[in-house]
Amino acid sequence: MSFVQVEHVMKSYGEVPVLKDISFSVEEGEFLTLLGPSGCGKSTLLRAIAGLNDIDSGKMFIGGRDITSLSPKDRQVGMVFQSYALFPNMSVFDNIAFGLKMGKMKKAEYTPLVEQMIEIIDLKGKENYYPNQLSGGQQQRVALGRSLVKRPKVLLLDEPLSALDAKIRRSLRNEIRQLQRKLNMTTIFVTHDQEEALTVSDRIIVMNNGEIEQQGTSEEIYTLPGTEFVARFIGSYNVWSRPEMEQAGFADIPSGDLFAIRPEVISIVPQAAVAAHDAGYMYTIGYMKHYAILGNVVRYHVDIGGLDASVDVLNDSGLLHLRENEAVRLAIPMEKCQPLKKLG
Amino acid sequence: MKTVAANGKRKAGGKRWHVAVIVVLLIYLFLPIVGTLLFSLAKEWQDEIFPNSYTLEWYAQLLADMRFYEAIGRTVLVSVLTVAITLTIMIPVIFVLHVYFPNGEKLLQISIMLPFAFPPVVSAIGLIKIYSSGPLAITGTVWILIAVYFVLIQPFIYQSVRNSLNTINAIDLVEAAEVLGAGKMTAFRKVVLPNILPGTLVASLLSFSMIFGEFVMSRMLVGGDYETIQMFLYNQMKTSGQSASAVVITYFLLILLLSGLVLKLGSWKPRGYKKAALQEEE
Ligand SMILES: Nc1ncnc2c1ncn2[C@@H]1O[C@H](COP(=O)(O)OP(=O)(O)OP(=O)(O)O)[C@@H](O)[C@H]1O
Ligand SMILES: [Mg+2]
Repeated sequence: MSFVQVEHVMKSYGEVPVLKDISFSVEEGEFLTLLGPSGCGKSTLLRAIAGLNDIDSGKMFIGGRDITSLSPKDRQVGMVFQSYALFPNMSVFDNIAFGLKMGKMKKAEYTPLVEQMIEIIDLKGKENYYPNQLSGGQQQRVALGRSLVKRPKVLLLDEPLSALDAKIRRSLRNEIRQLQRKLNMTTIFVTHDQEEALTVSDRIIVMNNGEIEQQGTSEEIYTLPGTEFVARFIGSYNVWSRPEMEQAGFADIPSGDLFAIRPEVISIVPQAAVAAHDAGYMYTIGYMKHYAILGNVVRYHVDIGGLDASVDVLNDSGLLHLRENEAVRLAIPMEKCQPLKKLG
Repeated sequence: MKTVAANGKRKAGGKRWHVAVIVVLLIYLFLPIVGTLLFSLAKEWQDEIFPNSYTLEWYAQLLADMRFYEAIGRTVLVSVLTVAITLTIMIPVIFVLHVYFPNGEKLLQISIMLPFAFPPVVSAIGLIKIYSSGPLAITGTVWILIAVYFVLIQPFIYQSVRNSLNTINAIDLVEAAEVLGAGKMTAFRKVVLPNILPGTLVASLLSFSMIFGEFVMSRMLVGGDYETIQMFLYNQMKTSGQSASAVVITYFLLILLLSGLVLKLGSWKPRGYKKAALQEEE
């Protein structure tokens, strides 16, 4: 049995099913991300694990113990909320000490633990500050420290970074990840940001409409999306059906009805090499429409028989002289043409 | 250019107009008080705008009257007791509804509006009918006053408690506390209560002032049995107009003091907030 085990969890609000038979597991020390669009039930699932929402059916286990009917205070989980939910009447120190005090710890016992945690979250010297005297990032660290100081069995993070600006978000998510590794803390992280999910997670569960769409490592989710939904959600995939590809002039299309092709696996090859035809590649001719520079890559949009193909090219390859309506030739390696299951 | 000048003129004119309105309003509000003040200080007052001669006799008499102090004492007691009882009952009720039964809050909202739907005289008569006999015969005692005032002030208390709960995100705080190992009661005591009390302070003081000046209910339900400051004033008016004026002025000063307190405390913040403000100033 895995460290965290969620089995056949169902939940409806009135007639509306929000979680439809969700089962998954998390290993000890693993960083698992629940990724999905707004309203797909991520928070509901996380809150069910914390005991803040009741469920209609199903079972949940942490460390082999059935927690399904325990109240939140007995589940030994830590939770960080999107709104931080720091206690405004308490200083940083008292916020972090709160959980330990609730555990009937004496002042002499918890003081060193709290001080140590304040050091870990890098807020030394701010012990006596109140939450409204801290920046958003600092507040989020206090919320994190407050949950971690109790050494919960599982740490639950519900979009902890969404209220912060992009730069702080990136640095804080790396900090969270490092801290999680250091403490070997089993963590379930909720986000609707695929980039965030891909960078921090050991494993990702993609949710859609109250169901698990796909699970796997970041690598697997990124390179081998299993469904149309995942391919579209994960980012800039070209998602094409077989008839569309035939229309676009591709030959030797692998078996399957729907395909996901990442922009960076498509290459723009010189017109002069028309004759060249490597086995294992599909070729077609198209017209340059426009391009956008996305930092270190340039994204070209090429019209191939009515289809819009996104093609990413490293920003140093000297292709920038391509003009609008210029004819180009595209090559796609066949094994990078990922067949998908249709939606629904 | 012309239009700008015209605009400027119109603006200046508008300002003068505002000032005029405010001055008229202030005169309208203060004239009776000034009149009462003069009357309470007058020794002789004939055929002139201002009294012919002044005296503090009425104040001396009033301040030497034990009945006056007793009446103030009673009023303060009723006000404080009512506000305290209302807070003790309403805060937990509103909290429980807000956090655990959000649908029930609508019901409470309706019941809160009831006191506005019934004029005091109407409800007073109903209350006398119900409570002058039967198992709960409390007409003529201070308890019926407290009960009625409870109903009267609960809309204000309700509003302020609910606003405070919303402002502090009470639901999130309780959930956070619960996950950290606090029971529901502890979460309420340690996390919610300290954060909403400052917000309810102003409403409490307003309620206090309201009860302090309430007359209709106290006259009809309790009357002479429990002489509040308003009842005392009413009785004084029957004996001497000038002595009653002295009561009014003293009473006015008391309310002024109270209002000043409300305004001052209105900007008061609990520990954490205050410190933050101080540090920002540094
Ligand atoms: N208390 C409630 N009553 C009725 N429906 C609810 C309630 N809470 C959530 N829902 C519904 O359940 C669905 C899932 O909500 P949930 O908060 O889990 O979404 P989410 O995946 O966390 O979305 P987001 O990324 O926006 O936070 C939504 O469609 C929402 O409307
Ligand atoms: Mg959510």
